[in-house]
Amino acid sequence: MSWFANLFGMARARRALALAPEQREALANWQQLPAADLSFMHNRGRYVVVDVETSGLNMKKDRLISIGAVALVDGRIDFNDVFQVVLRQDRVSTNENILMHGIGGSAQSEGVEPAAALLSFLGYLGKVPLVAYHAFFDQSMIEKTMLEYLGVELGQTWIDLAWVLPSLFPNPIESRATLDDWLKLFAIENIVRHNAVSDAYATAKLLQVAIAASNQKGVLSPAGFIRMEKDRQLPHKIGSSDGLVCG
Amino acid sequence: MSNGATQMLVSATIEFLRFYPPFDRMEHEAMQFLGEHVKLAYYPKGSLILSPETGVVQVFRIVQRGKVLVRHTTEVSVMDPSSLTLGPGEGFSIGSVMAQRPTTSSYTALEDVFCYELMAEDFFELMQKSSVLNLFCTQYLASLLSQSRQQLQLQFSQHVAEQQTMNSPLTAIIKKVPLSVTPDTPIRKVIELMAAGSIGSMVIVDDTQQPVGIFTQSDVLKRIVLTGVNLDDPIRRVMSESPYTLPVAANAYDAVLAMTMHGVRQVLAVDEGGRLQGVISERDLFTLQRVGLRQIRQAIDAATSIDMLLHASQDVRQLSLNLLAQGVGAEQITQFISALNDTLTQRIITLNLDKHDLFGIEWAWLSFGSEGRDEQTFSTDQDNGIVYVCTDIMDREQTQLRLLDFARDVNADLDACGFPLCTGKIMASNPDLCLTLEEWEERFGHWIRTPEPQALLNATIFFDFRPLFGKFNLADRMRLTLLRRTRNNPIFLRMLADNAIRIVPPLGTFRDFVTDADPDHPGTIDLKQYGARLFIDAARIFAMAHDVTATNTVQRIKQAAPLMNISADKAAAMIDGFNFIQLMRLRHQHAEQMQGREGGNLIRPDELNEVERRILKEAFRQARKLQQRLKLDYQL
Repeated sequence: MSWFANLFGMARARRALALAPEQREALANWQQLPAADLSFMHNRGRYVVVDVETSGLNMKKDRLISIGAVALVDGRIDFNDVFQVVLRQDRVSTNENILMHGIGGSAQSEGVEPAAALLSFLGYLGKVPLVAYHAFFDQSMIEKTMLEYLGVELGQTWIDLAWVLPSLFPNPIESRATLDDWLKLFAIENIVRHNAVSDAYATAKLLQVAIAASNQKGVLSPAGFIRMEKDRQLPHKIGSSDGLVCG
Repeated sequence: MSNGATQMLVSATIEFLRFYPPFDRMEHEAMQFLGEHVKLAYYPKGSLILSPETGVVQVFRIVQRGKVLVRHTTEVSVMDPSSLTLGPGEGFSIGSVMAQRPTTSSYTALEDVFCYELMAEDFFELMQKSSVLNLFCTQYLASLLSQSRQQLQLQFSQHVAEQQTMNSPLTAIIKKVPLSVTPDTPIRKVIELMAAGSIGSMVIVDDTQQPVGIFTQSDVLKRIVLTGVNLDDPIRRVMSESPYTLPVAANAYDAVLAMTMHGVRQVLAVDEGGRLQGVISERDLFTLQRVGLRQIRQAIDAATSIDMLLHASQDVRQLSLNLLAQGVGAEQITQFISALNDTLTQRIITLNLDKHDLFGIEWAWLSFGSEGRDEQTFSTDQDNGIVYVCTDIMDREQTQLRLLDFARDVNADLDACGFPLCTGKIMASNPDLCLTLEEWEERFGHWIRTPEPQALLNATIFFDFRPLFGKFNLADRMRLTLLRRTRNNPIFLRMLADNAIRIVPPLGTFRDFVTDADPDHPGTIDLKQYGARLFIDAARIFAMAHDVTATNTVQRIKQAAPLMNISADKAAAMIDGFNFIQLMRLRHQHAEQMQGREGGNLIRPDELNEVERRILKEAFRQARKLQQRLKLDYQL
């Protein structure tokens, strides 16, 4: 029981023990999967685009409320390969926060038990590269929650479109651009903003745009994206003003 | 687990598509299926989405965002301008997906484009689920049909434009280098050559190929028969010297002028060296002019000789070609040919009535087969008969002899006017087809009672009768008797149906078309046997089963459909299919005749363009639908 574990501040390993046997097995199965392949051609593999909703923007204090994910398989978004889960909350988030993502109090308290929710996410994810916009936030929230409830590291490769897109489209918008700016630039509609699935769907479309552009530049794989991101994060290599601001 | 998420995206997709036809009318379940089975793809600006080179189209696409430029890559472009753009909600390319072929157009992203993509097999399943989509696609194919008609029109008008102005140079009018002889050639030899080649005039040239004289058919009578000249004498003795010549660069108008001013019927075209290049006759120039329906009718009605009628029948053909070129549909053209042929036949009959005394006999001239159905194409032979009334049995033989005498002359005149005698002897001069009303009724009755193979075959020819001349009410009575007998005889209709479905549309399981039905002509399809006939036979049964008196296939389908609960759309699709096959037959016959061959019905699917192949396939599918209906109705 998570509240129990939290209450007594038990060690990570002990928390893992709180998992039901079948949950432990599912976790072990996931852990044994071969590491994500980062060398596939963009249009010949699977990416999972993730968006999370949280109780706030403080990565330390705030809690993960919902994960939404949309897969890009062979370059195409398949509506049957999507994922959404609301994690059960012991404490309902603030009204202000609820208005933001629309996951109401009862939906929060009737959500899926966190360990089960995370395991089903891992089951959906498998081991493929994850993609998000401002990925650091999504990554931190998911990893923090995993550590807390499953006692393991996620340890997966994340691709951050907030870094990749300015490399591919240097001029169009300010490098401090938000997801909404990019969506607007490419005239991508968002069904419901701040719904994890809807945001992930819109982000997946951005990923399609990014893939098409990177293919033209000869950057053909997830590994290429990661290199591109790293190059950009080192200002001295780029030397461009927007790179500096971004860094 | 993720059902909620899927449904959210599916719903958003449905909501988007609902703004556009045909999705705005599509059934709820079908839309759900569509939403669940599409995937979203992205094509950046400038990228090629689909082209003929990308092979068989396996994916149906609907634009979600952005614009797609469609460029027609076929040689003869239909659209003007030759491209169009598709925007959100528009799908492509229905025809290629349905036909499982490569597209004929190229599709390029004009802007950044997001596309919903549906795999072909899901598309087909969707068509099964949605009658709205089914109808939409059917109508789409129908629009392809008119597109193809426009394409034909364009081809023909180019052809016509090349040939049909009075400004065209003589080189464009000359069909072939004419036969010529030297001045010393014996007259006999020249006449033999003219007779053998059906040549109206022979040009006489010297060693340098320069024309020195001309000798025409009419000269035979005046200068040879009447003067009793020795046939072994050289031709130069009887030829007209110094024939009228024009340089090949002169135009048709110059030739008309020359003929009118000099009272000659031929003008010789010569090159710079004065060497013979061609003979231009009045007739060649006549075809350049637009001949109207009314002019031909007047010419026919005023004709007092078979010669004049022969010209008129050639004009009928020329005018049909012009109509084909103007984009008139097959239904109208075949009816038009039939109508003018009717007029022609009626005139021939009238002319012969002067020579034959049929006073006191009630009779009617009947046409059968394609003429009976108002569906004549360019290649057509005679199918006719006579029905008459004989009040006194003692007079029967005498009456028939008089009618047969008359019919023989009519048949011969029709033959002279370009309707070859029927090899199967289906002609009024055949005593077997010159019968009293009772005999016809008895014969029909016999076929219906004992439907052996020959009787069924006869039914397909003779049941499509139509009166052309005389007492039309005799034919009406024959029809009433026939329909009364057939509608009460499901067994006969069933046998007829069984016969009709024996020949199946030449659609292949693995290939588009079955082209080896005729071992003598591999790679071809007989569009009469394996195309038009399938529609004609089915429509005949529909008509007989539902008391439809029309003999025309299109009319039969139109009139029978409501009585058979076939929707107007479905009937229209069937008719389109039939008309398309007829149009291809007309065009093919025309092309064959342009090359001096007898126009047949064997086409090579490989030589058709993409649109035509696709529509032909759809036309055969329509034939299959007619046959399926027969199978259903008669439990075959």
